[in-house]
Amino acid sequence: MRTAVRNYFFFLWRCARIAFVGDWRYYLWMGALTVLCLLGLNAYAKQFVHGLMVTGMSDEVSWGVYIANFTFLVGVAAAAVMLVIPVYIYGIKELHDLVIFGELLAVAAILMCLGFVTVDLGRPDRFWHLIPGVGQFNFPASMLSWDVIVLNGYLLLNVHICGYLLYCRYQNKKPAKWFYIPFVFIAIVWAVSIHTVTAFLYVGLGGRPFWNSSIVGPRFLASAFTAGPAIIILALQVIRHVTDYRIPDRALLLLRNIVQVSMLINVFLLVNEVFKEFYSGNLHVASSKYLFVGLHGYHALVPWIWTAIGFNLVAMVLLVLPLSRSLGYLNLACVLSIVGIWIEKGMGLVIPGFIPTPLGEIIEYAPSLNETLISFGIWAFGLLCYTIFLRMSVPILQGTLSKANEGQPMPPAGGAAGARVPSG
Amino acid sequence: MAGETNPPSSLPEPPPGAGLNRRSFLRNSAVLASGLAALAASLAPLRDLKDSTSMEQFLQKYYKELTPAEMEKVLERIAREVEREYGIRPHLRDVKPLDGVQFVYALNLTRCIGCRKCVHACVAENNLSRNPEIQYIRVLRLPHGSLDVEKAEHNYAPDQVPEKGYFYMPVQCQQCENPPCVKVCPVHATWQEADGITVIDYDWCIGCRYCTAACPYWARHFNFTKPSIPKDRLNPEMAYLSNRPRRQGVMEKCHFCLQRTRAGRYPACLEVCPTGARKFGNVLDPDSEVAQILKRKRVFIQLKEDLGTSPRFFYYFDV
Amino acid sequence: MNGESRTSTILTLLGISFCLLATAFLRNVWGRPVPLTPISLVSPEFTNTATARLSYAERIRMKDDVSLFDCYGCHDRKKPPVLRFDTNQNLIIPTEHEDLVMGHGTHNRNNNCFNCHNEANLELLQTRDGRELKLSESTPLCGSCHGPTYRDWEAGLHGRTSGYWDRQAGPSDRKDCVSCHNPHHPKFPTRQPAPGPNPLRPGANPAQVHAKAH
Repeated sequence: MRTAVRNYFFFLWRCARIAFVGDWRYYLWMGALTVLCLLGLNAYAKQFVHGLMVTGMSDEVSWGVYIANFTFLVGVAAAAVMLVIPVYIYGIKELHDLVIFGELLAVAAILMCLGFVTVDLGRPDRFWHLIPGVGQFNFPASMLSWDVIVLNGYLLLNVHICGYLLYCRYQNKKPAKWFYIPFVFIAIVWAVSIHTVTAFLYVGLGGRPFWNSSIVGPRFLASAFTAGPAIIILALQVIRHVTDYRIPDRALLLLRNIVQVSMLINVFLLVNEVFKEFYSGNLHVASSKYLFVGLHGYHALVPWIWTAIGFNLVAMVLLVLPLSRSLGYLNLACVLSIVGIWIEKGMGLVIPGFIPTPLGEIIEYAPSLNETLISFGIWAFGLLCYTIFLRMSVPILQGTLSKANEGQPMPPAGGAAGARVPSG
Repeated sequence: MAGETNPPSSLPEPPPGAGLNRRSFLRNSAVLASGLAALAASLAPLRDLKDSTSMEQFLQKYYKELTPAEMEKVLERIAREVEREYGIRPHLRDVKPLDGVQFVYALNLTRCIGCRKCVHACVAENNLSRNPEIQYIRVLRLPHGSLDVEKAEHNYAPDQVPEKGYFYMPVQCQQCENPPCVKVCPVHATWQEADGITVIDYDWCIGCRYCTAACPYWARHFNFTKPSIPKDRLNPEMAYLSNRPRRQGVMEKCHFCLQRTRAGRYPACLEVCPTGARKFGNVLDPDSEVAQILKRKRVFIQLKEDLGTSPRFFYYFDV
Repeated sequence: MNGESRTSTILTLLGISFCLLATAFLRNVWGRPVPLTPISLVSPEFTNTATARLSYAERIRMKDDVSLFDCYGCHDRKKPPVLRFDTNQNLIIPTEHEDLVMGHGTHNRNNNCFNCHNEANLELLQTRDGRELKLSESTPLCGSCHGPTYRDWEAGLHGRTSGYWDRQAGPSDRKDCVSCHNPHHPKFPTRQPAPGPNPLRPGANPAQVHAKAH
């Protein structure tokens, strides 16, 4: 037993060490991310001292980029499971290892979500009030309490599945099916639930007619399953480029199919929403008017939402055409989707819910410098985590970091440092 | 890009040659050191953390779990803090609800002239922050014939009120019977008491602002920074759940002046109203003004009634 | 060696950036909180509980100067005053009472002083059915015409009550009609409103800016 524990800690130690080893591109990337993290941390320290006054939020618009990013990232985390379904339900075994990359993305995304929620709190020192049993947990009435459970549960699920599979591979042991297969299936259902619960945070508020609509939940899932796999498509190509890990084109095209269908559904749901809001001409349309055409002279979000819609439509067309089978166009479609959905789900969902206020007032919102630095810092932290995860998992999956070669020097960053000397 | 075994000479570490080894070690240590220095320096703003939470406040139990002895200690601590901050020893109690009381507030829209004295009386009575400004009551000026709040003007500033062609509607926390804010709070920091007042435990709130999003009446207000109250305008008659000074990062809202109303007095907004448009009392008492209003007047408006919040605030007209 | 020197350069640059960052953090170069715009404290006239006017009864209670209410200081007890009207049936207010503004009822419906005042005894008021009331107890006189409002007032629905809602806990103070309404010109006077709200992040509404400019 003790040897097993010792071995495990040595494995963790080797993984930690390898995170500091790489070529110049690795150091450049990680260095830049670290700088962003530090900027974010400094900005957060200021926010901690002076309060949320250093953001652009107000009593009128009391949620801003933090919750916008949180909402977007919960979707990304949920969509990482989209690789799980083809592998485990449709039995496409050759993509088995890619599940790990997807779930590691989910872990990084959830860490970012937790980061965004923490920086949004007015009293983060009172976080312990949320712990069930220790604090006062308003379950099941408050959807935020559901969110706490499902997000942390999803994090644990994914950490367990990835950690177990990777450790088994490290030891060159066959993983015991009962120890991870049930969790994989739970994760599929759980992924849908995390995003539905996040949607219900908004839907359950009767006083905000912009959110109090049954289409919010389906739209969340449709946009999550567009943006999430799009991010994975890009991430897999980065892995292809900087390591010598083989990523079959089949994986990318499978993900393309998912993004394609989800984007079509997303755009269809957008059309539904626009019709419902504007056709009947009732008074609850104020927030939608503010978002799409401006209200009483205020129109800060109008260029944003139309850019997002434009990006989404172009991406949709590209994805439908066989043109996007070629990686250049596919990547363009992915980038457009991600940006479009970030705007739509972030600023295009959270902010209009607050404008106009329930008493009819319009106070607009723009993030402050501090808020932006903190947001970038958390994104950088998430990317840092994901890069470290990949830096650890790729050699394990390739077999270059394994129990067999303990005691030997660290493997390089996927051979790129030596195997591919730049020709220029 | 099949994986080739890499020639050892191109491994990044350890490179051959003792000289390079020492140089790279020094370089790496220097980078690590500077990184740690930058990390420490990034937390430099925390030097300004003055009104930080004390250990007692950090560990303080939930209001409903405090024993009377613990509550005494908490009140003593808060009174000490207020004295240290403002130089005035407050009279701070924990005021419990009265039995057999259900508070109801009625407001006569024919009589309100929009003078906003209620807004400022509330600010003075309840130790609201003057800058940034927090006001529990917001008076809306609406045009004749419409209750559409989008047509409301919040910033009217004529020379004389009331203005022709408009009526005025003050809005504050409606103390709903079915409060959405209570439903959504993840830590039970806000709840409805037996007499109908929805209260907040300021020392339990985590400041997530979900209740602000949930409230259909824009009644909940957040302390975006440390509230500022002029020392000479502090009201020392305080209660734990109502008008003791709040901290940065917590929510607050109208609590029907429970430090007054649970002692049988009228709330501050009513006392100051020049026209007597505001009416308050125990609706369970058939002789109270509010019970009589609900019996005699024909038309009441409960704001946003269709949301099912069932507010305790009734707007009526003289018919 | 190409990669090695590049790594070295990157790491050195990183080290330098960390040092620069540490300096910038310690000197708090950016992100300082913007000081709040000062908001002037509200004048105490907007937080006092004064009524719209001081009634005669209130003046007596406060031991205020009530010499102007001494009618027979000028009038003769044996000679009831005579009212004069112009060709349009409008009351001509005598010069001695020129500070009085008559406006009880639109279209001069109630412009006869002795609809309320008793010409035989100026220290009393009279109702239509012949009851005599003291000047300090004018409320039933108002109620003799304004029935629905009087009914509401009796139940506490109209007018001001202050003090204790719980009558068993303490006294309540019902204000009478003339504490708010001038009996000669009863319409509730207009007044200057207290200042409006100062939101944390006002922003400028282009339409409002445009409207204010005109």
